[in-house]
Amino acid sequence: MKSFGIEFVPMELFWRTTYYTIQAEHLGYDSIWITDHFNNRNVYVSLSVIANYTERIKLGPGVTNPYLVHPVMTAQSVASLNEVASGRVICGIGAGDRTTLEMVGVEMKAPLRTVREAVEIIRRQIVREKGSYEGRLFKTSAGARFNFKVNDGIPIYIGAQGPKMLQLAGAIGDGALINASHPDDIERAVTYIRKGAEKAGRDPKEIDIAAYTSFSVAENEKSARKPVTPVVAYIVAGSPPFILEKHDIKVEKAEKIRSDLANRKWGEAFGAVNDHMIDTFAVCGSPDQCTEKIDNLFKTGITHFVTGSPLGPNIRASINLFGLEVLPNFKEQP
Amino acid sequence: MEYRELVKTIPRTMREVLSNKLMDVLLEAKAGDAVPSSVAKTLLYYWQRDQLASEAGLTALLRAVVEADPVRSAAVIGDFGLEEIKLAISLKEE
Repeated sequence: MKSFGIEFVPMELFWRTTYYTIQAEHLGYDSIWITDHFNNRNVYVSLSVIANYTERIKLGPGVTNPYLVHPVMTAQSVASLNEVASGRVICGIGAGDRTTLEMVGVEMKAPLRTVREAVEIIRRQIVREKGSYEGRLFKTSAGARFNFKVNDGIPIYIGAQGPKMLQLAGAIGDGALINASHPDDIERAVTYIRKGAEKAGRDPKEIDIAAYTSFSVAENEKSARKPVTPVVAYIVAGSPPFILEKHDIKVEKAEKIRSDLANRKWGEAFGAVNDHMIDTFAVCGSPDQCTEKIDNLFKTGITHFVTGSPLGPNIRASINLFGLEVLPNFKEQP
Repeated sequence: MEYRELVKTIPRTMREVLSNKLMDVLLEAKAGDAVPSSVAKTLLYYWQRDQLASEAGLTALLRAVVEADPVRSAAVIGDFGLEEIKLAISLKEE
């Protein structure tokens, strides 16, 4: 089965983000992911408002991280949200963004171990597991249990990009959120996820594998490319050399973009983004072009496609365009 | 300004298109934070039920959009030939 999700960054007023999520639910999207960054509006406040105005769509953080939020608090948040949106809550968790963590003096140490233990603790909390937890990084005592019952299971999706985190997602995740947009990168990621699942003795088909893409759709390609340019500038600037080299993007060029962004030379940074970079790090174009690209991504083995920021030149119009002209090519409308 | 009374004067055939245009104005308004949260929540209530073009939905939408961008709201309403409402918005602005 093919599922479709949408990501929102809660930079906008609560009612605007909620308006768009209702729109997405009306159009047949399956999931809503709200990013968790300390410098935007709080993810769980945003999600609980959204939960109040939606009925069917699944919703959750996409993604939170265990460096800034202790896993017992993440467990408490998603469990509480589940009372408002019973059976609809999903939880995306990853190692987070190194640059953002450094802004608040937090070092990203042992990301694999940290994410693994965090997932274990969240699951234990949700089922009110008795006994203490003795991880290498996190510990909880036998008394650290919820005083309330959680009626539903909450699927945990692991946000991943590198080979080891992708394998971890395959080994322990209910789902995986692949942070990539290019079919080659996603195909490689799916291979790692399956490898991780098989090593852990799991059937890879149990895992909902989502491509969590930078996305933009508009009536024509030119209009779709414009809003994605700044997003791609940041992706290029933050990509490791091996990813850049694999896509024939010169490391020096990426470094220049990084330096221009750091110095707030937006015109130069965004001006250096070319079509090849956009095609590598985003899914964008007219509805027909997007349909073709998404179809190719499903052929890599993903089961879920998430349209991430910026969505398009006009969010409302782009959600409509996607819902009315792209989605029906893959699934029946509600 | 009695928004509900003003909305009653809008021909039913016009309400769907008008609510769409006003929603665009509202979503693009720079002063979106001027919309009281109670009005925003009423608006979401009707939007969830796909009733923004109903009398109650349009009333909430008009209240919100006039707070967020009275100039553009008046212009859109003027384009629909709804002079009485346009005048009421202009008077509120003054």
